Amino acid sequence: MLSRKKKNLSKELRLKIVKLASKVPSAHPHIGSCMSCIDMLIQTLIYEMKPSDKFILSKGHASLALYVVFNFLGKISDIELEKTYFEDGTQFGIHTPGTLPKDIPLATGSLGHGLSFAAGLAKGFKLLGQNNRKAYCLMSDGECNEGAVWEGALFASHHKLDNLFVLIDRNKLQAFGRTKDVLGDAANPAKWRAFGFNVISCNGHNLKEIENSFSQLRALNKGKPNLLIGNTVRGKGIKAIENKVVSNYTTVVGEFYKQAIEDIKNMD
Amino acid sequence: MRYKFAEIFEQIAKKDKKTVFMTGDLGFHAFERLRDKLGERFINAGVAEHNMVTAAAGMAYAGLKPWIYSIAPFVTIKVLEEIRNDICLPNYNVKIIGLGGGYDYGIAGPTHHAINDVGIMMTLPNMRIYTPGFAEHIAPIITKLNKESGPTYLRLTKAEPLNIKIPQYTSLQRIIRGDKVVVVVLGSIINKVLPAIQGLSRKNSVDLWLVSELPFNLTKELKTSLQKTSNIVVVEEHVKTGGLGDYFQHLLVESKIYPKKYRHLHSRGYISHRYGSRDFYLKENKLDRESLKKELST
Repeated sequence: MLSRKKKNLSKELRLKIVKLASKVPSAHPHIGSCMSCIDMLIQTLIYEMKPSDKFILSKGHASLALYVVFNFLGKISDIELEKTYFEDGTQFGIHTPGTLPKDIPLATGSLGHGLSFAAGLAKGFKLLGQNNRKAYCLMSDGECNEGAVWEGALFASHHKLDNLFVLIDRNKLQAFGRTKDVLGDAANPAKWRAFGFNVISCNGHNLKEIENSFSQLRALNKGKPNLLIGNTVRGKGIKAIENKVVSNYTTVVGEFYKQAIEDIKNMD
Repeated sequence: MRYKFAEIFEQIAKKDKKTVFMTGDLGFHAFERLRDKLGERFINAGVAEHNMVTAAAGMAYAGLKPWIYSIAPFVTIKVLEEIRNDICLPNYNVKIIGLGGGYDYGIAGPTHHAINDVGIMMTLPNMRIYTPGFAEHIAPIITKLNKESGPTYLRLTKAEPLNIKIPQYTSLQRIIRGDKVVVVVLGSIINKVLPAIQGLSRKNSVDLWLVSELPFNLTKELKTSLQKTSNIVVVEEHVKTGGLGDYFQHLLVESKIYPKKYRHLHSRGYISHRYGSRDFYLKENKLDRESLKKELST
């Protein structure tokens, strides 16, 4: 399964996201955010993490991207996902749910919770002497507006949580504007270095670059939490909504759906 | 109660290596010894309560038993969403210890008071609330807490020496036996209600009950007394909505007990908007010893 070419995986899982989103008669799946972070999720969850590690998707509105990765990993069946997504009684929330606690330790949706939770996990692993276990957390750059994120950053740094790997999906857009026009670039590497993190930035859609960034982070000074900033494009792969605020408010229907499929198939 | 808490928690933590104590930068002149004894399991999480609550949830998921501590409003009202989303909804084993229920922090003022904390906590799923009335009950309560799994809020207050033999702890218990009026008290205010009753000229009229855990069920003995007297007073250092009074009325209706006389003595907030001691606020709210004595005389 893992021998498939990664590039194909990026397309394959994007197509799955779009197909599932097309079942939904609204913009609830946040298609733009899913396209923005899917490559970082693929590299992290499929290629970097060990079974005993834990992952928190702090930007819970991109849950559909997480579901398709878990589906690929065999943790969620095709039938479950395709038959029940967005149906009444489903366990797959529009925001990352509490129904799969083994794989999803925290239900998110309200932004700014994931980093502190992952830091607590990482600290817990250390206190329990489980030194090989790691905690991963993916946030959005807009999410870094939240004050609690910076409380979590202080905690992670002060406690030297080198078993914590934070990823920021830096697509430079948030719910109602560009990050630079709202509160500034909270995912600026200098800010995070100043908070005591090892920081590596890369193209967040290039799986090889993401892989190399993880390797570089592991080689950096121990005793610091790690941050991988992925420079991304919201809506990546669907040309009509790429780098646009509307990408999270788009319903995947009709001509838009057909064109999105074409666009993704033709991605470089 | 916090000194007693520190002493007993140290004993528990010594045996149970999964316990972790986190404080929001508080505990000066109280937790130094605990800090020294617990080593890396004592974490000063700083003045960063949002992170403290959620990081504790992460530790609980990892398999630890975190206890988090601050002044009551800073671990309840300030961090309500973190408690709801990260502790209560997933039912994680985090103990929240709030110091200064009610007007305990006196002249420190409303920012440091917790007069709606119980109501807020009562609305959260899986939450159990402990409201001890006596320092002597801290040991059995926190021993029990450590054995239970799930979210808990412990409302600590400054206890006062009382002229009574403190009974062995149970969650809902009779403190004084009487036959004219049932007085049901939530935790901390017992130290005003008890002297008020002891000052009454007519003896053996008040059937006094202390509530130290919420939610709870009426016992057979309490039901019998409620029916017999048909005269009930609920007293709490908490606003009208959401606390013991609200809850008790539901219990009465569910049990089909309709008393002839029902009074709810509760906090009304800040009457004069001036600052003062706990006794100053209690007096303004007619929850001081003299006001209670007057109320219970009728």
